[in-house]
Amino acid sequence: MERFPLKSSTPKMGTTYQSVYKKGGTASNGRGAHSTSEDDMVDITAGLNQAAGASVNTTPTSHGTFQLYEHSGRNSTASANSYIAQYFSSSAGMDAVELEQGDTEPLVAADDVGDAVIFSGMSGDDDIPGIGQYDDFHTIDWQRDIARDRMRHRYIVKKRQDSLWDLIKAAHDAWSGWVCVLLVGVCTGIVAGVIDIGASWMTDLKFGICPQAFWLNREQCCWSDTDTTFDTGNCSQWLTWPQVLGGAREGPGAYIISYLFYIVWALVFAALSASLVRMFAPYACGSGIPEIKTILSGFIIRGYLGKWTLIIKVVGLILSVSSGLSLGKEGPMVHIASCLGNILSYLFPKYGRNEAKKREILSAAAAAGVSVAFGAPIGGVLFSLEEVSYYFPLKTLWRSFFCALIAAFILRSINPFGNEHSVLFFVEYNKPWIFFELIPFVGLGIIGGCIATIFIKANIYWCRYRKYSKLGQYPVTEVLVVTLVTAVIAYPNPYTRMNTSELIYLLFNQCGISNSDPVCDYNRNFTDVNSAIEKAAAGPGVYRAIWLLVLALVLKLVMTIFTFGIKVPCGLFIPSLALGAIAGRIVGIGVEQLAYNYPKIWLFSGECSTGDDCITPGLYAMVGAAAVLGGVTRMTVSLVVIMFELTGGVRYIVPLMAAAMASKWVGDALGRQGIYDAHIALNGYPFLDSKDEFQHTSLAADVMQPKRNETLAVITQDSMTVDDVETLLKETEHNGYPVVVSKESQYLVGFVLRRDLNLAIANARRTLEGITGQTVVIFAGNTHQQLAPPPSLMLNRILDMAPITVTDQTPMETVVDMFRKLGLRQTLVTHNGRLLGVITKKDVLRHVKQMDNEDPSSVLFN
Amino acid sequence: MEFRLVLLILTASCAAFVSGHSYEDNRCKCVCPSPAAVLNNTDAADRSPFMKSANVPPNKCNCENVILPRVADQIKGREQEFCPRCECKYENRNTTIIKVVVIIVIWVIMLLVVYMGFLICLDPLINKRAKASYQEHTNEDDEGSLGGPSQQLGARGNVLNRVTHQQDKWKRQVREQRRNIYDRHTMLN
Repeated sequence: MERFPLKSSTPKMGTTYQSVYKKGGTASNGRGAHSTSEDDMVDITAGLNQAAGASVNTTPTSHGTFQLYEHSGRNSTASANSYIAQYFSSSAGMDAVELEQGDTEPLVAADDVGDAVIFSGMSGDDDIPGIGQYDDFHTIDWQRDIARDRMRHRYIVKKRQDSLWDLIKAAHDAWSGWVCVLLVGVCTGIVAGVIDIGASWMTDLKFGICPQAFWLNREQCCWSDTDTTFDTGNCSQWLTWPQVLGGAREGPGAYIISYLFYIVWALVFAALSASLVRMFAPYACGSGIPEIKTILSGFIIRGYLGKWTLIIKVVGLILSVSSGLSLGKEGPMVHIASCLGNILSYLFPKYGRNEAKKREILSAAAAAGVSVAFGAPIGGVLFSLEEVSYYFPLKTLWRSFFCALIAAFILRSINPFGNEHSVLFFVEYNKPWIFFELIPFVGLGIIGGCIATIFIKANIYWCRYRKYSKLGQYPVTEVLVVTLVTAVIAYPNPYTRMNTSELIYLLFNQCGISNSDPVCDYNRNFTDVNSAIEKAAAGPGVYRAIWLLVLALVLKLVMTIFTFGIKVPCGLFIPSLALGAIAGRIVGIGVEQLAYNYPKIWLFSGECSTGDDCITPGLYAMVGAAAVLGGVTRMTVSLVVIMFELTGGVRYIVPLMAAAMASKWVGDALGRQGIYDAHIALNGYPFLDSKDEFQHTSLAADVMQPKRNETLAVITQDSMTVDDVETLLKETEHNGYPVVVSKESQYLVGFVLRRDLNLAIANARRTLEGITGQTVVIFAGNTHQQLAPPPSLMLNRILDMAPITVTDQTPMETVVDMFRKLGLRQTLVTHNGRLLGVITKKDVLRHVKQMDNEDPSSVLFN
Repeated sequence: MEFRLVLLILTASCAAFVSGHSYEDNRCKCVCPSPAAVLNNTDAADRSPFMKSANVPPNKCNCENVILPRVADQIKGREQEFCPRCECKYENRNTTIIKVVVIIVIWVIMLLVVYMGFLICLDPLINKRAKASYQEHTNEDDEGSLGGPSQQLGARGNVLNRVTHQQDKWKRQVREQRRNIYDRHTMLN
């Protein structure tokens, strides 16, 4: 610090540095704006000699913050509460500066001042309770949390030799990450099983009941029926509602009664779901993936991953899926798994008390969520890596892998659908595809990208309308209206009436013996044994089915636009898959009929000339589904892996990749953002996307706070009283304050968080005698002079003495990169070594928005 | 609250175990085209495929063992043509898990609905004190360690007090969530 020239000895006001920016930098003048003219020179005077001396004493490299977790190696012989006194240097003659300079080794106090074990993770009591945690809607400081964990780990390793008990504790600490993800996997699998069974039962409740065993759905009810025809899918044990009421199974009367029951049940389920969400856990609504993404990027939303959210999300999800709304359970499954991860991480203090470490567990939990949602463990891991996670070290990759594996295994052993798989629409394919088919596959990708763009734009428009209009004041009514409209329109069309998962299964499936749906009504000849299932002319049933499917496509698209965003748990994987599957199946049937009618044309290069079927419409449905889902979410790798895990065929990777890529290109060309990013932007979550590039030429000085004519709120290291600090806390709303040597010199010492300051002062008032408004607060510096009463308040433990700093001429590209890669919460801006201002993550986000010509005030929260 | 809930679920599921019917957990499911379609009997009316389920061991789950004995009279010696058309699959399930899960789901929904009714109807009558000022949404995890007057009060008071305190805290949080979502529309739009 001494190397900075001190211009004069006369104290001046510290605010003179504000005159550096005469014009206020904008993006256009960029770097050139700040030529080194006379006025640009910072004229800051070093303060009193005492202050300068103090800054010499204080080694800038000593780890102020991390001393929070330092401790003595010896056991305390002092009384239980004496250790608190140690942190607020009492008049016992302890030399705080010497202690600070003890580097990272555990401090051994030279005298009989009580030492204490103050590990938050180990002993369960912080020195000042609550330090290291965050307020609601705040951004976490990855660097600080990871450093805290490193210190804790170092302590445990050091302690290991002491006793057997410590060795066991160290072992427990080492494997707690794996145990935690194991528990998360087991619980996720069980909860997924409950949701699958519950939802499939309740969905069939809309149609009828199994009187002998009411807990069975239609398929399970007819399980051991010896003779079932395919006409209605009904058996004698299963009673539809007209039958229950004593009427006939068929006929117009029965149809009307069924229709009414369908609507009434749908309304009941939707009303229950919406009111439970509203009453108990409003955070349980929606898909949750945008919020999980934001949380994983280092944001705190208290209660978003809590117990009630979990319970209500599970129950509400079962109800809303059963109500026949155009929504799926896959996205919320990620939220549910993350809730489980959060709740279970509290069993392990290493993760529960460290927000950065907790996010490792949450990443693994998100992988488990997708793993059970699609029965695709590897797809889940890749989804976590590609779509939701922000900080994903290799260690987390392995844990996610393990977690996804366990969850898939548990769900598979529950076997919720009785089909030996964990999803309803598992299909097994082993048909070859011919080279020409890549063209329709890419075409499907383009169609999928267009459908996805229409969906995203319309949905965002509608959600924005809901946000700013009166519509948002009637959440439950809105759910009921959407349900009513969906149910009334959906029932007449068999493809929208059925469960969406069943529809996807039907469309994915190839036409065989077991498939009697109109979509498989081909003029097939069953007498020839040798040809398995040959290509055949489409019968009238197929053409009727195509019309119904087109109607279903339009209806599903429109209904999903209005459904995604209503206040019930709802995901959009299943609706997007269904949209794509419908489009794909229609295209597939078209290509198949082309091959049937003109088997000899050059396109098929002779492969379709034999009787064998060369075109599988089900495969087109699959590719189409992947295309729409890829366009909506902009996933690529994870999507392809999920799709081939769904079908168990590695053979179709190339078609799926082609479609996903085409869809992503079309989607990116037509609209920049995927649905999740669009929702993050709509809600203004502070999510700094690591995919976007920052391409403007602004400087750190343009972005930092305070702007011209404002003063920077700072705290001096050893000259402010408790009253001064409290006034500052009252008058300003900043979440952290730089600590400087003196107001005149503005030499940076460190950074202290508002929350820590509040807690520490409150704690000191509670536990220490003689703390009055006049007590001097000392963060760092020379403490020798402060021994006279009233005793000073030592707060060096809450001071971060290694804040990240940049100079005011640093280009914003670099600053944004630092925020992304280091996960910063704020960085301090200096000029000639003196403090000039602060850039917070929110400032960066605002600046990015401003540069992109968006409304910067839409970024919310702290 | 939660403890009571768990207890009720347990009793409910025990009751269900006693009164349940027994459904089989294994089946061999064979799907075949109608014999008329295969044998090209133009006079037969029903040409739609059919499905048979039977309770046989897995190694006997095939067309010869399951289907042929039942349709032998219709096929009349043309088994070689008919059987390759059939798809037989051995499947199993666990009805007990299904039963328990469905009953738990019903119970949880009922409990939540009852509790919701209680909160809507009775709770305002019981404590009429209007909470004019909204308290800052506090950190839920701190609450235990933060101490303060509320914690000490809970420790000194009886269990009921603590439950009430927890419930109040939870209600505050939910109210805050509701404000965020339904009133201010800052989240989850």
